[in-house]
Amino acid sequence: MVWLTGGGLVVATLMIMGLLLMVLINGTATFWPKPLKQVTTADGKQFLGEISRVETYRVATTALEGLSKEVAQKIRDNEMEAQRELLRTGNYDLYGDDFKWVSLHDVTKTETPDNVWMMERQEWGPFVGFIKEVRVDGKAVASTTDEVRAQFNELHGPARDRWREIRRLEKKDVGAINTELEQQRLNLRKVELKHGKESAEYKNAVDSFAKREAELTTNYEELEKKIKIIRAEDARYTLLLAEVGGREKEQKISEIVRGYPSNALSFGQQLGVYASRWWEFLTDEPREANTEGGVLPAIFGTVMMTLVMSLVVAPFGVIAALYLREYAKQGPLLSAVRIAVNNLAGVPSIVFGVFGLGFFCYVVGGTIDSIFYPEKLPTPTFGTGGILWASMTLALLTVPVVIVSTEEALAAVPSSMREGSYACGASKWQTIRRIVLPRAMPGVMTGLILAMARGAGEVAPLMITGVVKLAPELPVDGHAPFIHFARSFMHLGFHIFDVGFQSRNAEAGKPMVFTTTLLLIALIALLNLSAIYIRNRLKKRYVGAQF
Amino acid sequence: METLVEEKRTHPMKTHAIPLRNAPPSQEKPAETDGKPKTPSLADEPIVLEVKDFKLWYGASQALHDINLKFPKGKVTALIGPSGCGKSTLIRCINRLNDLVDIIRIEGDMLLNGETIYSRNVDVIELRKRTGMVFQKTNPFPMSIYENVIYSLRIDGENRKKILDEIVERSLNRAALWDEVKDRLHDSALQLSGGQQQRLCIARAIAADPEVLLMDEPCSALDPIATAKIEELIYQLRGQYSVIIVTHNMQQAARVSDYTAFMYLGKVIEYDATEKIFTNPSKKQTEDYVTGRFG
Amino acid sequence: MERHFDQELDDLKQALLRMASIAEQNVAQALKALVQRDNSLAAKVDEEDNLLDALQIEIDDRAIKLLALRQPTARDLRLLTMAMKISTDLERIGDEAVNISHRAQELNQEPLLKPLVDIPRMAELAQSMIRDALDAFVYEKPDGAREIIQRDEKVDQLNHQLHRELTSFMVEDPHTITRCLNLMSVAHNLERIADHATNIAEEIVYLYEARDIRHQHE
Repeated sequence: MVWLTGGGLVVATLMIMGLLLMVLINGTATFWPKPLKQVTTADGKQFLGEISRVETYRVATTALEGLSKEVAQKIRDNEMEAQRELLRTGNYDLYGDDFKWVSLHDVTKTETPDNVWMMERQEWGPFVGFIKEVRVDGKAVASTTDEVRAQFNELHGPARDRWREIRRLEKKDVGAINTELEQQRLNLRKVELKHGKESAEYKNAVDSFAKREAELTTNYEELEKKIKIIRAEDARYTLLLAEVGGREKEQKISEIVRGYPSNALSFGQQLGVYASRWWEFLTDEPREANTEGGVLPAIFGTVMMTLVMSLVVAPFGVIAALYLREYAKQGPLLSAVRIAVNNLAGVPSIVFGVFGLGFFCYVVGGTIDSIFYPEKLPTPTFGTGGILWASMTLALLTVPVVIVSTEEALAAVPSSMREGSYACGASKWQTIRRIVLPRAMPGVMTGLILAMARGAGEVAPLMITGVVKLAPELPVDGHAPFIHFARSFMHLGFHIFDVGFQSRNAEAGKPMVFTTTLLLIALIALLNLSAIYIRNRLKKRYVGAQF
Repeated sequence: METLVEEKRTHPMKTHAIPLRNAPPSQEKPAETDGKPKTPSLADEPIVLEVKDFKLWYGASQALHDINLKFPKGKVTALIGPSGCGKSTLIRCINRLNDLVDIIRIEGDMLLNGETIYSRNVDVIELRKRTGMVFQKTNPFPMSIYENVIYSLRIDGENRKKILDEIVERSLNRAALWDEVKDRLHDSALQLSGGQQQRLCIARAIAADPEVLLMDEPCSALDPIATAKIEELIYQLRGQYSVIIVTHNMQQAARVSDYTAFMYLGKVIEYDATEKIFTNPSKKQTEDYVTGRFG
Repeated sequence: MERHFDQELDDLKQALLRMASIAEQNVAQALKALVQRDNSLAAKVDEEDNLLDALQIEIDDRAIKLLALRQPTARDLRLLTMAMKISTDLERIGDEAVNISHRAQELNQEPLLKPLVDIPRMAELAQSMIRDALDAFVYEKPDGAREIIQRDEKVDQLNHQLHRELTSFMVEDPHTITRCLNLMSVAHNLERIADHATNIAEEIVYLYEARDIRHQHE
């Protein structure tokens, strides 16, 4: 019997470890800068790129015709199977594709040239090729390998600074103007709805609106001027790039997020690239349809959603459990309620999503909209998916967990403690507040941890109550009221699904899936560990040493 | 009716100064003139608690039959008897803890210092504040030692530090625990040993100056040395407090009590001075029990 | 650890000491009544004996209560059981003293037969035995108690001696028979008092050493 149970445990542990290991290995390997290989095939074509992977494939009989006799024979001997490698050639704007399969038996030569560059760009994905020239104001200032490298390194930093400056001006400052303009417009509409188009208030409002609009437009134009100047400066610095086949492209230096000569890096420099990619992953926004860049909005969205969910589910669940255990009269109705709560935990999460959409978004959100935001209609504010409704839907999903474990914890408080409190002349509520709840707190925390872990990992209900592929803004920003509960948000779990299976570029997305999974697991582990730490502290304080 | 909000309850007799409801401690020596020490007699004693025609049913079966007892003030009275005789049930009726059990039905009354306990409009919470109880299983609350002792006062709304400090010191001194814990009053009570925890529970029970102190087998879970300490403590409490102690250890009753009631199958068989019960009981049943011939 | 039981044991010991000193006093007074031929002293001895009787009842009552209520063990147990025995022996000593005082009253009705030498000597020894037993009890000296037991021999010797002397008196002169018989009775009483003192000494040895040394010197 021991062998059976022990064996079961070992198998389960191995499976978990295996999964974690796979995610870990693949996830951590993604960002390492791989060498660029220049491959020449039998028909003279050249391809340049990182080798993504190698696989065995079935050769079609028709494909054998183009091959030499010995090669074809070898393939036939091998049961029609051969190997091919996937090269990430980049240059989507030039080729129309980022990846290329090259059969190994086709390859005549593989080189690792020193002067090939991997350029991660703001748009169109990576560029793989050579820098022919570094140009300032249209004139070349470097053209040899070393000069090019030196010049690029010197000019790249300031170029990116300029790009970030433009971005900041656009997002923050222009954004602020737009927000206020929008707000003024809405205020005007509010007045119109309240008092009518003919009223004096409306006329006054129109006047003040026009005034403010004029002010804001002036501000906007000033900002535009500033941006224009920076853009002009920025346009002076370009690169002349050439891909392996010879085609050229001129690229602004500021549009290159990161560039490095893949085959000419020392180990330290490779480590530097690796570290900077991880940093970008954690702190930057996504680009290229989520296959590149960072997942900061998704991290933020996941954390914020989990927190809001916990804040909602904790009091709700604990109070419900308190009522069930302490105040309700025992009887068939109570048992029915308890069974219903337990079964709620088994309902598929997508059903919760639909309920959340129907009830929270349409009914409650719609009512809020018609009362508080009539000026925005027919565009819904709260009447559609958003972080608030998503969190509340998940809270509903996880509340049975909290209720059940809280009830268990309450039941575990020894009756001698309750009686002691009553004997001192405490009322029922005083006993609960001062003795029972503190004593049961570790159990409640356990329930919360379970709830958080479950909620953070659910994706299905989120998809219909507020998660989007790409959110333009974070739910928390510097504009009042600072926390925007009606905004859509991004979520790591959904991100994994989207990148892995919904993106145009499945091959580019795959490594991102692993890194995002790794991140999600780490995040949940962190949340759980902190909750466990808090619980241990509470246990020591309230439960103490038992004799 | 209990509400969800903590209410400040003021018992008419409490003024939040520190009233001593019981008589100040008298010089305790065994009554001695030139002659035999006087045997205490129930007829001479002022009464703190009177049980009148008390009956109790657990569902359909009757557990207490026509109990009539008068507990003397300032003395220790023990309830002894074999398992199931009803002594624990009886003592839990004094502070109406049995109200928490749904299937119990009660007839008859009890008078605490002349005031009825079981009539319709008695506020149970107020009643419980006039009694203190110590249980068989030590139950220190999950708080500091300081907070444990003043729990009854806190829930009554008393927050003045000076008064609370004084009461903590006085109660812990009376419970013979002060010297051991005076340097760590704000440590968790759960870290004390078994005997210390029970003395803490006693301190907690006497902190609010109860009119009667109820003890339900307080030493059952303790080792002999802790037991001896607590028995000595109970002896010291007489005069200041009226104590009713339930014990299944009759030698303990012999050691600490002035009066003893022997109960069997829900009835009081004999109730007299402890001396008499253990040297020359009137009823044969009592004699069989104290000599160990029972069952 | 302080116990209130210790206070109760102390009270018992005090009562015992009081009883012992009264008994000793009574023996001395009875002798005085005899030697000084004083009837008023003899009457006093009677009175004081009532006190002894009351004390015996009190001590026995206390001891029984403490045995029932306190479950004593070891030395406490021996103290309580020996207290009851010692109180009995002391009460008997008191009774013997009363007997002596009665004999004295009778002897005072006739002229002195001969100067009293041996009887005072016996009395002296008996009284010293009682006193030393008291000391041994108070100062917890069982060896002192042992030493008392040896003196009993001397008292027995004196008793026999007196017995023979008085018998020859009675043979010579039948008019002296009443007085001789009374004197023999007094000697007998004193010999009994010494025996009781010996018992007390044995009880004290048992109390402090848990060793039963009775019947060993016979």
